[in-house]
Amino acid sequence: MERAFTPLECLLPAAALRACADGGANRLYHVTEGSQESFLPDYISGDFDSIQPEVKEYYKVKGCELIETMDQDLTDFTKCLQILQKKIEKKGLQIDVIVTLGGLGGRFDQTMASVETLFHAANITPSPVIVIQECSLIYLLQPGKHRLRVDTGLEGSWCGLIPIGNPCESVTTTGLRWNLTNQVLKFGTLVSTSNTYDNSGIVTIETDKPLLWTMAIKR
Amino acid sequence: MERAFTPLECLLPAGNLKFCLLILNQPFNKGHFHCLWSRAALRACADGGANRLYHVTEGSQESFLPDYISGDFDSIQPEVKEYYKVKGCELIETMDQDLTDFTKCLQILQKKIEKKGLQIDVIVTLGGLGGRFDQTMASVETLFHAANITPSPVIVIQECSLIYLLQPGKHRLRVDTGLEGSWCGLIPIGNPCESVTTTGLRWNLTNQVLKFGTLVSTSNTYDNSGIVTIETDKPLLWTMAIKR
Repeated sequence: MERAFTPLECLLPAAALRACADGGANRLYHVTEGSQESFLPDYISGDFDSIQPEVKEYYKVKGCELIETMDQDLTDFTKCLQILQKKIEKKGLQIDVIVTLGGLGGRFDQTMASVETLFHAANITPSPVIVIQECSLIYLLQPGKHRLRVDTGLEGSWCGLIPIGNPCESVTTTGLRWNLTNQVLKFGTLVSTSNTYDNSGIVTIETDKPLLWTMAIKR
Repeated sequence: MERAFTPLECLLPAGNLKFCLLILNQPFNKGHFHCLWSRAALRACADGGANRLYHVTEGSQESFLPDYISGDFDSIQPEVKEYYKVKGCELIETMDQDLTDFTKCLQILQKKIEKKGLQIDVIVTLGGLGGRFDQTMASVETLFHAANITPSPVIVIQECSLIYLLQPGKHRLRVDTGLEGSWCGLIPIGNPCESVTTTGLRWNLTNQVLKFGTLVSTSNTYDNSGIVTIETDKPLLWTMAIKR
């Protein structure tokens, strides 16, 4: 069975639910300066050690749900995802993808924490979860076959396959400039970076272990 | 046998540390740059790293000439390449497509270290952790290869982050230079680690598994001892904050 997905389709407008993980609320507040009222999240969750007091107060007064989550073993991102899935189920929504904005820049440990959350996401939600920041997107491919459409016109030039967390014994691709055929992907042996596309507009990937897909978003 | 290392020693203004500087094609902190450039034994740029060097030294490029620039030269701007060529910098074209510019630059660096008979304590790489996610991962990949290229520790620094790949065994890191920021982490990036034991962290590990999907140590911090010890059965990536 093949999983079909168009990673950049989400950059077309219309979110069904919107949430902030802790300090993500600061980012939202500042990026919507002057019209915060028109950009109210459905909820803000986290241990609230990053959210600025005035930001927290603003959204509270505006009626946004504030959900404090004290579990120290899980990141704010993971906890926010858990809450999101509960709300999706409660509202009976059909969701094609969960889009995460931010998470790939700044602190290296937090970039890695974002990747860790993608590993947990498979047990939290059946929806694909992607992380986008500036010109990069990441998406964790579960073992099996995948078919990615890369013809939205929003794809940048580079892409890659990163065996983060575990070696992959057998990876096969089509649609890339440098394809793989039953190849090992492993840090210290081979990692696919600075790859690109052929002209087919489709990339297929078959992997025996979880494998991180990454791609450029055109500016 | 324990490997002792002080990751941020290279950023201390004084001292006898002998290190080489390698510049990659990503934005980096001007303060770090100047601190490192003046005291480096050898200085190199990997391809587009030369663009970064050229721009960060605007107005006085002449005082900041690298020993060599290597790569497949698909990123270096023509005027930048011409400038350094005219100034007598060695330009080394490396066409191997299976290795990144960073890896190839490191190979050349090690040859020069050996040729000159230099004693080198650490190889410091500036840039490599920001911007394109695939290139950040390529930097990590180079650290895996570095163990077979050079006996010197190789670190990568960009803005507020440092990464350093710990080989299997025992490590003792001094984290009392005063330049350490608050966070640190241990990332089992290429492979699960079956048994990791630490001291000196706020949340230590005892024979614990570190594995993506199970446990990854991020947003960790230090106790007040100024020392972190780590014992690992597999390669494990250490990451830490640099104070602004």
